[in-house]
Amino acid sequence: MQYKDYYKIMGLSRDASQDEIKRAYRKLARKYHPDVSKEKDAEAKFKELGEAYEVLKDPEKRAAYDQLGANWKAGQDFSPPPNWNEGFEFRGGGFTGGDSGAFSDFFEQLFGRAGFRAADRGQYGFHARGQDSHAKIYIDLEDSFHGATRNISLSTPEMNAQGQVQVKHRSLNIKIPKGIKAGQHIRLAGQGSPGTGSGQSGDLFLEIAFNNHPLYRLSETDVYLDLPVTPWEAALGAKIKVPTPEGTVDLKIPPNSRQGSKLRLTGRGLPAKVPGDFYIVLQIALPPANTGKAKAIYKKMQEELDFNPRQALEVYRQ
Amino acid sequence: MNSHDLSLVHTGTVIEEDSLSLGQLCRACGVHADWVISLVEESIIEPQGEEIRLWRFSGASLVRARSALRLQRDLGINLAGIALALDLMEELESLRAQMKIIGQI
Repeated sequence: MQYKDYYKIMGLSRDASQDEIKRAYRKLARKYHPDVSKEKDAEAKFKELGEAYEVLKDPEKRAAYDQLGANWKAGQDFSPPPNWNEGFEFRGGGFTGGDSGAFSDFFEQLFGRAGFRAADRGQYGFHARGQDSHAKIYIDLEDSFHGATRNISLSTPEMNAQGQVQVKHRSLNIKIPKGIKAGQHIRLAGQGSPGTGSGQSGDLFLEIAFNNHPLYRLSETDVYLDLPVTPWEAALGAKIKVPTPEGTVDLKIPPNSRQGSKLRLTGRGLPAKVPGDFYIVLQIALPPANTGKAKAIYKKMQEELDFNPRQALEVYRQ
Repeated sequence: MNSHDLSLVHTGTVIEEDSLSLGQLCRACGVHADWVISLVEESIIEPQGEEIRLWRFSGASLVRARSALRLQRDLGINLAGIALALDLMEELESLRAQMKIIGQI
């Protein structure tokens, strides 16, 4: 078991006042809150912070923790000295952390399991029905286009008969319905937390999100593709083979197309109830002038074409 | 887990725009109806239907309600603050999505 330096986690010195601890928590909680933060390890950091605050905000727990001494380094192998908490009385009920079941071994070794708290958190009345559980799953664009079956792994904290929280891992095969959108939910009846006694299990809610795709971008139900074209294809018009999630299509590029022009294939986006559109965004790629021949052609264009792309800027010129 | 479970494929129901009742939303968030009603009063989530018993919530409401719950619990924000935070977060999210569309050239 590794020692955790709760002061370091909160960026505080060991003589910090209770007010300083509270302020530090508020500030860091805003920074790392998983709903707000975009930092990659926000969730882990937030849990760590919650645990540190759980101990330091409570004068009894803090005093007990301080008593372990200041010479421990974070991550150092740790086992509590015998009778380390003699004379301390933890009144319990002080567990307010988000997922109390997720506190570290270090915390549990010192202060016991916070599991009993998770039992009444979020439950109302005396319903014996299990709680609904939630997970976000990432699918590929193609899964929504064609429908798919995906295997997902879930870790669920569950209470055992002794009222302790144990993380249970399981995997489920899920049918991904065709046309599902980002942010939509799939509800699986009876796949949430088990009920107590003869109570029914809760439901499992899966929120859909999409993995980044190497070719396509998604905006609601519309799908975007950047299509590189040559200057002559854009200028003269062309017929080009274009990939779409439903297979290759022949696309007609109209003459005099401009950089960034959007071409729409109606109804070729996500096959939702109201299907989205497929947009092709033209990206004109210039051939490099790295051969004598290429240079000669550019030179000829310079001489022959009366073309000023900066016409609109003329008015500002002295 | 036996081999039967491995091959079992679960088919769920997709939550459409208006498919969650007040009771279902409460259960999904693990909260009292009073709390959900206070979210509606603060316009944090907006159900379809006039009367409470006819209220129907979307999947987006579920996401907002659960976010609201966490913000209240973890950061001690009041409902007005939550409403503001969620709106700003959603705006940020949609700006990020637009950046992805136009900025990734």
